[in-house]
Amino acid sequence: MEKQYRLLYDENLCIGCQACSVACRVENSVPDDCYRVQVHMQTIGIFPHLGMNYERLSCVMCENPPCVSVCPTHASFQSKDGLVHIDERACITCKYCILACPYHARFVNPIKNVVEKCTFCYETRVSKELNPACVSICPTEALSFGDMHQSNAFVAQKSQKEVLLFPKAHLRTKPKVAFIPNRKGMKS
Amino acid sequence: MSPMWGSVAQYTAIHWSWTIAIYLFLAGLSSGSIIVALLVKWNRHERSNSSIWDAMIKAGSVVAPTAIFLGLLLLVIDLGRPLSFYWLLIRYNVTSVMSLGVLFLLIYTPIVMVFMLLVFERSVIKYPLLAPLESLINLVKSFHSYAKIIEYFLFVTALCIGSYTGFLLSALYAIPLWNSPLLPILFLTSSLSSGVAVNILIGLLFFKSTINTESIKYLLVLDTRVILTELPLLGLFFIGMFYAGGDTPYAAKMALTEGFWAGIFWLGVIGVGLGLPLLTVIIAMRSHIYRVGYIVINSMVVILGVLMLRYYIIYAGQIYLG
Amino acid sequence: MAYIQGRRDFLKIATSSATATIFLPGSLGALGEVALKSEDKFIRSICEMCSSRCPMEARVVNGKTVLLQGNAFSKEMGTSLCAKGVAGSSQLYDTQRLVTPLIRVGKRGENKWAEASWEEALSLVSTKLSALKERYGAKSVLFSSKTGEHYDLLRSFASAFGSPNIFSHWSSCPIAIESAFHHTFGEKLHRDFENATYILNFGHNLFEGLDIPLTKAMAQFSANVSKKLVVFDPRFSIMASKANEWYPMKAGSDLAFVLSLLHVWIRDGKYDKKFIENYTIGFDKLADSVKEKTPQWQQSLTGIDAKVVERIADEVYQAAPRCIIDWGHKATTTKAEYQRSRAILMANILMGNVEKEGGIYFAKSAERVNALAKEIVVPELNNPYPRPHVNEPRIDGAGEVGKYRFVSKQHGALTAIPDAILSQKPYPIKGWFLTRHNPLVTLANPQKIKEAMDELEFIVVNDIYLSDTAMMADVILPESTYLERDEGISKSAFKSPFYTMRNCIVEPLHQNKSAIEMMRDLAQRMGFGTHYAWKNISELRAYQAKGNVELLQTLLMRGVASFDVPPLLALHAPSVERFCERYPKSRSWVDAQGLFSHFLEHLKTPSGKIEIYCEEVEHAFSGYGVTGAVDMDVTQGYPYVLTSGKSAVHTNGHTQNVPYLHMLLSDNPIWMHPSTAKAHGLKMGDTFYLQNAIAKERATVFITEGIRPDTLFAYMGFGHDAPSLKRTHGKGMNPSKLLSLESATLCGAMITNVGVNIIKA
Repeated sequence: MEKQYRLLYDENLCIGCQACSVACRVENSVPDDCYRVQVHMQTIGIFPHLGMNYERLSCVMCENPPCVSVCPTHASFQSKDGLVHIDERACITCKYCILACPYHARFVNPIKNVVEKCTFCYETRVSKELNPACVSICPTEALSFGDMHQSNAFVAQKSQKEVLLFPKAHLRTKPKVAFIPNRKGMKS
Repeated sequence: MSPMWGSVAQYTAIHWSWTIAIYLFLAGLSSGSIIVALLVKWNRHERSNSSIWDAMIKAGSVVAPTAIFLGLLLLVIDLGRPLSFYWLLIRYNVTSVMSLGVLFLLIYTPIVMVFMLLVFERSVIKYPLLAPLESLINLVKSFHSYAKIIEYFLFVTALCIGSYTGFLLSALYAIPLWNSPLLPILFLTSSLSSGVAVNILIGLLFFKSTINTESIKYLLVLDTRVILTELPLLGLFFIGMFYAGGDTPYAAKMALTEGFWAGIFWLGVIGVGLGLPLLTVIIAMRSHIYRVGYIVINSMVVILGVLMLRYYIIYAGQIYLG
Repeated sequence: MAYIQGRRDFLKIATSSATATIFLPGSLGALGEVALKSEDKFIRSICEMCSSRCPMEARVVNGKTVLLQGNAFSKEMGTSLCAKGVAGSSQLYDTQRLVTPLIRVGKRGENKWAEASWEEALSLVSTKLSALKERYGAKSVLFSSKTGEHYDLLRSFASAFGSPNIFSHWSSCPIAIESAFHHTFGEKLHRDFENATYILNFGHNLFEGLDIPLTKAMAQFSANVSKKLVVFDPRFSIMASKANEWYPMKAGSDLAFVLSLLHVWIRDGKYDKKFIENYTIGFDKLADSVKEKTPQWQQSLTGIDAKVVERIADEVYQAAPRCIIDWGHKATTTKAEYQRSRAILMANILMGNVEKEGGIYFAKSAERVNALAKEIVVPELNNPYPRPHVNEPRIDGAGEVGKYRFVSKQHGALTAIPDAILSQKPYPIKGWFLTRHNPLVTLANPQKIKEAMDELEFIVVNDIYLSDTAMMADVILPESTYLERDEGISKSAFKSPFYTMRNCIVEPLHQNKSAIEMMRDLAQRMGFGTHYAWKNISELRAYQAKGNVELLQTLLMRGVASFDVPPLLALHAPSVERFCERYPKSRSWVDAQGLFSHFLEHLKTPSGKIEIYCEEVEHAFSGYGVTGAVDMDVTQGYPYVLTSGKSAVHTNGHTQNVPYLHMLLSDNPIWMHPSTAKAHGLKMGDTFYLQNAIAKERATVFITEGIRPDTLFAYMGFGHDAPSLKRTHGKGMNPSKLLSLESATLCGAMITNVGVNIIKA
């Protein structure tokens, strides 16, 4: 892979404000009531020993993407940068990929009637060396994005310093999205 | 727990619904009925035209293509953009079970139609209405010499169709209820049982002239054998899930105990689809009363059970994710 | 500037007819019809989705979609913006927005309107208001607005009109803190979150009531493993979830806890004695007041163990002066709100963190910086909204006599309005002009306010939606959204001063006008146009900037003008040194310790120093001169306290109808602990009633472990009745309906902690 993109989500900085969700909606014209990205909060524990988990729900751009291997028409494909894209022409909306995704990242766009998901804002931003909309809008700078091959990239440096977890790592999807787990409060 | 804000509706939506459940059933029915028809054809002893065996062969050769056509229609309808289905035919992905399924279907469907024409060759010649098919018949006749090979090939492709539907689901490790290596064999067995049942049913209703007690008894026992294979398989399927890791044991527990679909499973799949025919057979055997009616009811009930199994697996799999 | 080619038909607010609406998926420059000036694809402005008013910019991507994001010329913003800010485009294109002036036909509140032209509407307003002035005097008309430029404008207009009855939203929000600051320091101070190492947070939920620069600093603080955040809140809020320690203290008992902290510090001599000696008066009175307020005493009032008080007192002292005891923005208030705020200020003072790094500090405004530097470093501005003195008493006696004598006469006590109107005391009120103000949703006891409004002869509402308050109007003026208007220059100052300016991003999509245009027109019609030194916005800006073209240019292009003034903290030697290096003339102010200590010796307080004890206050309100334990009951005898607060995706009562935000949160079910729900036989989502002496309101249940069993919580701003707000109409409940018009002692703050009963449906 030429680039090794990583999107780092720091659960400690995330406050669940959904600015990322709205920014994504505007940037990508996401239809109403569909979400390419959302943060889900869950209060855990028994009063007063509580904690709150913050979970970013979105495509994690697997390096072994199950959505690509199940797509019968190669509408879901992986570019040489390792990003998973959707070729809208070839998508027959069979929804196999939606079921295959362990992260529930995909959905049917009710207006265009094809499958859609987070694209890391590739066309409008990442391909132009800019950050995805969610990363640049985050009020607390909980998201960082970059190419891990560049050792001076902020995301590479932060990855070195912090404890990183990969969502559903046991499935061996090798996500490009990593998160820094919550240090505060009760943990599950 | 409902979130403070945002919406999780998107993540709990059902994507494959009745169209896919029925398609899986029809694909299984088609492949099952043709396999049973072929087995009967290869193993029957009498050559009488009006025996139940002949009826079963005729039934299979009609049901199989009909079912598969209906199934394909449902598949196309289920697509978000049905008119774009041609992409399935011009692009293939060998890692995708769905794509492989398309290939199998492309091979299976014409062959099963050829088989039908071969079986009904004489009937076609008899009826002037079907005269336009004469050129087709001649074409088919040219295959006569290859009939045996066609039959063997058909058998293999039918096995592929019967099991690929299971692999279609089991390939998704994101869905605990589907991701079992036993699912393909469960589906195949279930398809065979529906094949036996539908051939008997259609055969008795449309193609038979006489049937004797001996045959009835044999068919009832055949039914039983199939059911008694399916029951343990279902048991192993679920027991296997309780020993699996991750979300699977919890998903399995929920799927067997929670809500509407647990009800469908126990009452529909087990109760009606498997328990009832078993009961019928036991009663019949005990009292030595072998009525045609029992078989007809039994067959319908078995088919219903198989349909409900597909429904259950499809829906429960998408609802109970652990 | 941006322009739109062609018009389009939007929803007209007529009675019932079907309307042609166009689905616009939120793209600001949508449909290829908006073009921005070729060399300026980024227009910078100020957000108004809440009153944090963060500097933002509109960016054109793909020639079509415009993303609203933070204005990176403001370093504290970067490109960050919250969900509401980004949803500004969703509000702009909301087809349910007001687009033409409306004049009431039918009875008040009946929701029957006739569309009118601006000429008709403004002419009617000017005629009616002039008539009221003629007949009952200008004082018979009330003017209310949320603070901000709207308010400055309205206040100026009211003064020119001759009415003393100007109200801001302060008494429904920060007035207690503002009063406490005013009496203690002479003005409000800021918090240096960036450099603090220990913060005690009393319900200051910066993660749900967002202000980007503060939220960002707070997030970085809480994520920093070497810093400590302690949060006190009866609810497990987002802020509480980021705390190192969270104490679910009883609602409204902050005062008790802080008093015991003060007690421990004074008892052990653990406070900045030098600071107290040099810069404050009245310490002895404080020591007296908290003598009996032991950690054990507060235990039963707050539910927090005495040992915790001891330990935290020690930890905070160790961290001093890089510690902040955070007074919050607007926590749910109690009758003792003034004393609570004062106690918290005392805590900071005892820790000696004033004008130190990691503590609290005075705003270094342009005037202040110029005075210190002894040269004009930062251009100063003219005031475009003059306020001639009005020699009439106010209806609430604010700033004059009675229980509101310490309430600023610029802000007034909103809770006094309904009674004043209904009783006609001290004189009849006949009109009300509201702009950017929705008291029927945000103010206590809207039922009574409605009753009072029914008695008025003329009500004018300026709003972007046909809100609950607008429903009661005689004339509704549809303002353009903040994306569609130019405004004047806004002043800001933290450790250094800066200016921001709101710039029009899109020409108004319809006939909407900005408040500045409206009020200027009205002033002209009513004969006091010469009151203003400007006729339109460009002249306003030029006047404000004193003709400084460079400043205006910067503000037009960048939306922000900062002047590279080194951040200054008067008692922090390194920053003083940097300041002196830059502005050598300021060295004359430096004292022997290398500090600007004179700064704290000439405050805007009667004594010129920090007043721990206020003589004047004590004379008027015995027992209130110094902070002490008073008025701490919040339940009024009811078994549960209903608290309310902000959510990160909505702003008070403003945004519930905005499509993108409504999608994220459309309802405010009541937070209830599982044991409480069980005791009343309630399950998740069940309907029930909240009841007290004021009202009985229907609500639904949200069962969560994240709240005290004796407390309930609702996100405020829901329960809109106005039918034109089609999305949010009838959704959720309005907690204000259960609040009484009683206000907190001395400061006139609306009390939002209220006792309630749970009644099964």
